[in-house]
Amino acid sequence: MIKNLSLTSRLTIFFTLVAATVVLGLGWLFMASADRHFLDLDRMALDDKRQLIEDILANSNSLEDARWRLGESLGHHHGLLVSIKNSSGQTLFKSKDFAFQDKPLLSVHGKVDLALQTLKSGSGEFHVIQFQAVAKYNQEEILTASLAIDAEHHQEFLDELQSSLAIYALFATMVSGVLGWIAAHQGMAPLRAMRSRAAEVSGQQLEGRMPVDAVPIEMADLARELNQMLDRLENDFRRLSEFSSDLAHELRTPISNLLTQTQVTLSIKRDACTYRDILASNAEELHRLARMVSDMLLLAKTERGVDLPLKEVFLAADDAQALIDFYEAVADDKKIVLTLEGNGPVKGDRLMFRRALSNLISNALRYARSSSCVKIIVVDRSNCTEISVENNGEDIDPILLPRLFDRFYRADQARLHLGSDGAGLGLAITKAIVEAHGGSASAFSARGTTRFTLKFPQ
Amino acid sequence: MKILIVEDEPKTGEYLRQGLREAGFVVDLAQTGIDGLHLAEQGDFELVILDVMLPGLNGWQVLEALRKRGLNMPAMFLTAKDQVEDRVKGLELGADDYLVKPFSFAELLARVRTILRRGKSSTENTTLKVADLELDLLRRRVSRAGKRIDLTAKEFGLLELLMRRQGEVLPRSLIASQVWDMNFDSDTNVIEVAMRRLRVKIDEGQEVKLIQTVRGMGYVLEMPEAH
Repeated sequence: MIKNLSLTSRLTIFFTLVAATVVLGLGWLFMASADRHFLDLDRMALDDKRQLIEDILANSNSLEDARWRLGESLGHHHGLLVSIKNSSGQTLFKSKDFAFQDKPLLSVHGKVDLALQTLKSGSGEFHVIQFQAVAKYNQEEILTASLAIDAEHHQEFLDELQSSLAIYALFATMVSGVLGWIAAHQGMAPLRAMRSRAAEVSGQQLEGRMPVDAVPIEMADLARELNQMLDRLENDFRRLSEFSSDLAHELRTPISNLLTQTQVTLSIKRDACTYRDILASNAEELHRLARMVSDMLLLAKTERGVDLPLKEVFLAADDAQALIDFYEAVADDKKIVLTLEGNGPVKGDRLMFRRALSNLISNALRYARSSSCVKIIVVDRSNCTEISVENNGEDIDPILLPRLFDRFYRADQARLHLGSDGAGLGLAITKAIVEAHGGSASAFSARGTTRFTLKFPQ
Repeated sequence: MKILIVEDEPKTGEYLRQGLREAGFVVDLAQTGIDGLHLAEQGDFELVILDVMLPGLNGWQVLEALRKRGLNMPAMFLTAKDQVEDRVKGLELGADDYLVKPFSFAELLARVRTILRRGKSSTENTTLKVADLELDLLRRRVSRAGKRIDLTAKEFGLLELLMRRQGEVLPRSLIASQVWDMNFDSDTNVIEVAMRRLRVKIDEGQEVKLIQTVRGMGYVLEMPEAH
């Protein structure tokens, strides 16, 4: 549930909680200060009156005198209540509203507590202090005085303050919630922009890219990574669709040849020899098709990296020599000498390695000048083994060099129908094999020498 | 020689049966794994050719069941999958050979003959002889009508293969694999060139041409039929 909450909701909730905490904290602080302030005011007022009472008592010549003076001084103070008792508990003076008789105002040990106490009486709340004093007319007797001040109006004020603070807090929290939502929504705008861009991307429409410059820095990296991913996908996708159209194109011609030839043959009655010839020619053509299909499969699998070659360590020169033996007759026919120099270890699939190198040798023999030399050079570079196949022949345009490894690419389009064995997949297969081994393939051509190099990591 | 084919694709099965029959074998055809298993239990087959993808029991399961019942005739798999794992799995189960579709019939026939010949060490001759062509394995010498012919090591190997399997049509891929140990679809042009050169040495100037090209199939060494 919480996991599925949108980022906007999460941020809004977070903002609201923060705002509520801050507002409530401030309100509490304010309330506590006001409360303490009123308490201090009451204490000061009560202290004033205590001194007044003590003065009056200290200057009174008789009980009546004291009563009259106290009545004069305290009678008009609204909300101030006084009671004075002698040690035997007789009330000497009492304001008319004083209602604390039954309360044990004295502390347990008979000592008078000067601290301010809060007492409730009837409807009201009072702040009360007690003290002891001695009157002039009777120095022997210790009088106990209780002095109370009505705290009700302070409390009313505080209650009012509290409720307005609560309303304010509620309102402020709601407003900050809304503002938080707006801010979060605005902040997420680049994400939504990226989402709508992503929604536009499909197999047919891979050109869309994330707006790297238009998004905040935090998202720019993500956008850049996504763009790179899209670049790779687009590249692969393009190659894939080119591949299938190439494939269809390559297969179409031989299949339509086969079909035409077969139909022409069937159209009239012929002798057995002709049928045999046609069938044999069909078989040759079909064989080429079958080979092309299995080459394509090999290529697709190797490029996908699924068919990771079996790994063993072998010496490159051994297999190169086996291939030289294999191609000897063809080389001899063109009066070409095949030579091998150097050696080095290769870790990988031996069959695949032979296949890769065999394509290079076959290619070199095809394009080498007659009576020249095709060199296979193995160099052990401690971290990798390089195998080069070099032939003398016409230079290949440097612009075309990287394209040589493309599927179905032929440097000389004219030779296409001269019955060359390959379907233009040989170098692509070689490259795929080397790359499946974690290596690389490159081509070089200048001053009459063409060299293909395979680099296998050790 | 009885061969059992278990193949669910009717056209492929029928052509295989016809081809192998015409090559002189007695052939039974089953279309499902279960039928194949029953047939294999009853008949006395010397080879089973199994398609991997079969309805009911697949090729591997059929082979496993056969081996459990103590039937140890050689088995050969046909499959559209050429993944390494499949190959390993098939060979682990005791398959003798493995052919990836699409394959040529000549290839299949040559491999069937290789399997059936296995274990039957036909009295190891030190000389092979076809018509007036003689090949001495010990001294590594070849002569035709008593006249010595010089061959390179690979040409000798090529001729030896052709003579050992005289009368059989050998496809180029089999030749590349047996003579040069090139176990992949290599440049077939190479075989053609090698064969042409061998032919020049063996047949040139001779009235009877022993090495023949069977178009679309491969090469065969035999006494040509009298026309």
